[in-house]
Amino acid sequence: MQGHPGGKVDRVALVDVNSFYVSCERVFDPSLEGKPVVVLSNNDGCVVARSNEAKALGIDNGDPWFKLAADAKRTGLIHRSSNYELYGDLSSRVMELLGRFSYLIEVYSIDEAFVSLRGTPEDLLKVGREIKAAVAKNIGLPVCVGIAPTKTLAKFVNRVAKQNPALEGVCSWDTLPPDHAETIMSRVPVTGIWGIAGRLGKKLNAMGIFTIADLKAADPVAMRKKFSVLMQRTIMELNGIPCIPLETEIATKQQLIFSRSFSTPVTTASRMHEVMAIYAQQAAIRLAKDHQQAKIMSCFAGTSYFNEKFSSFPSATVNLAAPTADPVLLTKAAVGALEHSIVDGIPYARAGVMLTDLSPAGAAPQLPVFATAHEEKHIGALLGDVMDRFGVSSIGLGRAGMAEAPDWGMKRKAMSPRYTTEWDELPLVKAS
Amino acid sequence: MGEVAEIGALEADLTGFTGVAVAPVSVAAGFPSPAQDYFTGRVDLNKHLIKDITCTFLVRVAGHSMEGAGISDGDEVLVDRSLTPVDGDIVVAVIDGDMTIKRLRLDHGRVRLAAENAGYPDIVISELSELSVWGVVTLCLHHVYRRQ
Repeated sequence: MQGHPGGKVDRVALVDVNSFYVSCERVFDPSLEGKPVVVLSNNDGCVVARSNEAKALGIDNGDPWFKLAADAKRTGLIHRSSNYELYGDLSSRVMELLGRFSYLIEVYSIDEAFVSLRGTPEDLLKVGREIKAAVAKNIGLPVCVGIAPTKTLAKFVNRVAKQNPALEGVCSWDTLPPDHAETIMSRVPVTGIWGIAGRLGKKLNAMGIFTIADLKAADPVAMRKKFSVLMQRTIMELNGIPCIPLETEIATKQQLIFSRSFSTPVTTASRMHEVMAIYAQQAAIRLAKDHQQAKIMSCFAGTSYFNEKFSSFPSATVNLAAPTADPVLLTKAAVGALEHSIVDGIPYARAGVMLTDLSPAGAAPQLPVFATAHEEKHIGALLGDVMDRFGVSSIGLGRAGMAEAPDWGMKRKAMSPRYTTEWDELPLVKAS
Repeated sequence: MGEVAEIGALEADLTGFTGVAVAPVSVAAGFPSPAQDYFTGRVDLNKHLIKDITCTFLVRVAGHSMEGAGISDGDEVLVDRSLTPVDGDIVVAVIDGDMTIKRLRLDHGRVRLAAENAGYPDIVISELSELSVWGVVTLCLHHVYRRQ
């Protein structure tokens, strides 16, 4: 792993975009620069991204917008609805750009990627700075880069880079003075490390492990016995031993979820059937695109957690006769699953369909008796093609086919234009 | 009569014609058309007009200040952010929070964002460091056919 000729080492860089959603908004609306900006979740519910200026106002992720709205005028807080088309496009541009720096990258989430690098520590620090400059110039997004021998340490030094303006957004484990690293590790709570969530943190605290330095010093074998092999890996990674390889092959997705909050509650069983039918068909199209099939379908609905009068969370799981991607079968299953548990008059605020037990389509050839006529005709792929060309409301099965304006669609009142994916919404440049 | 029939056949062909096929392929009697080996797909404008698609963005022009450069109100322009602007380039610059299209002029240490229309003023920037260039304009899609 280490010790190549010429002092070259193998390292992994974690590159992530600062306040990704807010930064995307700023690319095409530079007037947002330097101002407190938040981006809201689906349905304009709560804050999912904040600019530094919004953080300075004491705003947290998860804060409900209705509580912030009253004060927004006074504080100058600007809000935007989630613009997933824009974020998705800019994300793929960033990832493509990162691919120019290494043949091996793992896209870890919409706004972060691990990049495999080889070189001398000094060269790699330079590469880190080049990556930051390239994304800033070519896409217009600010990133931080953390370079280290392991993914866990790369996450750690990325955080160090973020919190120390003097580092100008790039931090390398190798060029960080050792006593400096130790000081930080002995100050940061153990939950500040990748893979240690709040609940696990409490268990560790009970054992006297409070900081990252405490965990680093723990015995990996003893900790594996108490927790799991994941804990052992984390400890070894903190000590510079790579245990979590870059996942460059996309693993088979384990589940597929289509779920939304409604802008106007759904209060009738017949309306809920339409919702379920649409989710089931979207799921079928996705399965067809991914060349997958599902064996288990779960359907759920729920009232708002803020509703004091009504509290209802029906759910049902359907074990399909055989793995399938057939939209007709999936729609029937989804509509049938909740048929008897939806009560007219209850205001449901959200609903969803989840497919699990996924397998590659054709991995285990179906017995002819289980292959449905619809599947043989590739209805799912066909529905997808028609929707791609003519819009999602152009075609549908059963109740979903009735293309009435859906009042349960997403509320995205403050959405910026889809600058990079819609011809009619291109950014305007002034010639005046 | 023969002539008329020919014209009729031509019209019939054109009715079903959509797009620009470089080489038509039809399979007769199980043998592939000899033209199939030469079929390379239709001309792809992205490939020919965009050098770096990851770093290139489409924006729409609002206003008349660049008409002298052949860029009209409502035209779309391609902006390549990977290019480093030099004197004479048409650029999209950020002025007071707005994206503005102008010709960049660097003369005698002065920065000027020049309009290409006598009716519009230039913008003079005192320090190069205060100039924020969003990207360099590489191509203008000027709409020539304006009828509905």
